[in-house]
Amino acid sequence: MEKRQSMERYSEGRLPAMAPLANPYVPFQLENPPRYEASKALVRGTLFPGLDLPLLGMVNKNELPVTPLTQLQTMAFMIQELALYLDTHRDDMEALEVYRSYQKMYQDAKKEYEKNCGPLTHMTHNEGPYRWLDEPWPWEYAKNREV
Amino acid sequence: MFIYDKKLQYPVKIDKPNPKLASVIISQYGGPDGELGASLRYLSQRYSMPFDELKGLLTDIGTEELGHLEMVGAIVHQLTRNLKDSQIQDSAFAPYFVDHTTGVYPQFASGTPWNAATIAVKGDPIADLTEDLAAEQKARVTYDNILRLSDDPDVNNVIKFLREREIVHFQRFGEALQLLREKLNQKNVYYMNPSFDM
Repeated sequence: MEKRQSMERYSEGRLPAMAPLANPYVPFQLENPPRYEASKALVRGTLFPGLDLPLLGMVNKNELPVTPLTQLQTMAFMIQELALYLDTHRDDMEALEVYRSYQKMYQDAKKEYEKNCGPLTHMTHNEGPYRWLDEPWPWEYAKNREV
Repeated sequence: MFIYDKKLQYPVKIDKPNPKLASVIISQYGGPDGELGASLRYLSQRYSMPFDELKGLLTDIGTEELGHLEMVGAIVHQLTRNLKDSQIQDSAFAPYFVDHTTGVYPQFASGTPWNAATIAVKGDPIADLTEDLAAEQKARVTYDNILRLSDDPDVNNVIKFLREREIVHFQRFGEALQLLREKLNQKNVYYMNPSFDM
């Protein structure tokens, strides 16, 4: 595994020294790239500072309030971003470890969220009345008002 | 199979309805470079992909695009809630309104319904991944253009998130192309179509 890159190189990737003609190349992101912390990653839309390339300096600086829903969204985003990274970097053991730690956190947070806010999927078992229809739907203003 | 997860990928909370803005953002729902096309493009291309990394990446990005489709639908829905007739008369939203009221319909900003001709499934992994690189760039530019047209921070926070996802997806498709090439004939990667000849 490559050593942690110095911060000034984080936005550069690996290209072959010689490459066949008539082929498009995107530099390969180096292993173990610097990462934002989780809540910043969600707001920026990427975990990786090296891929954070805003238009005309329009950096996403909004702060999402910490609610059970935004915490779940933050963890799910970390898992999604690392999954895409691992699809092309399956041997990066450090990324794999972070991915697994968020999977664990997500499982616990999901249980807690569903206790209070109802099931996220039909696969969640609960006793008592049918709860699937209780909460506002994700696309409705009312569901997002708190965030 | 797909299971509905009852939450958005990123919160969509738009305080101020704005039907005029909705009439351009609808293009990222069902326009030429929108999220409906993105999800169907990747989820359809994956069947003919020859290697596990490629099948996995197209499944994972295609699934995320379905989540983006839902987010764009949420933006349009919230921008058009509680409207009065007077907010629609003389507005750029009037032509959309007459056909769809405030329903969310997959169409271009110009009114053309979503069209499968805006996506491609060639059945050759180099051709399909190269199409995907271009598709991510076109979606990125569409989000750029929406940011130029909108001054609502509630909308722009979400649009900036979606725009950034296009850049990350572009990076991953580029890496996938390189992983693919490493498995092909190094002297001539166009020697055959690995989806068909392997």
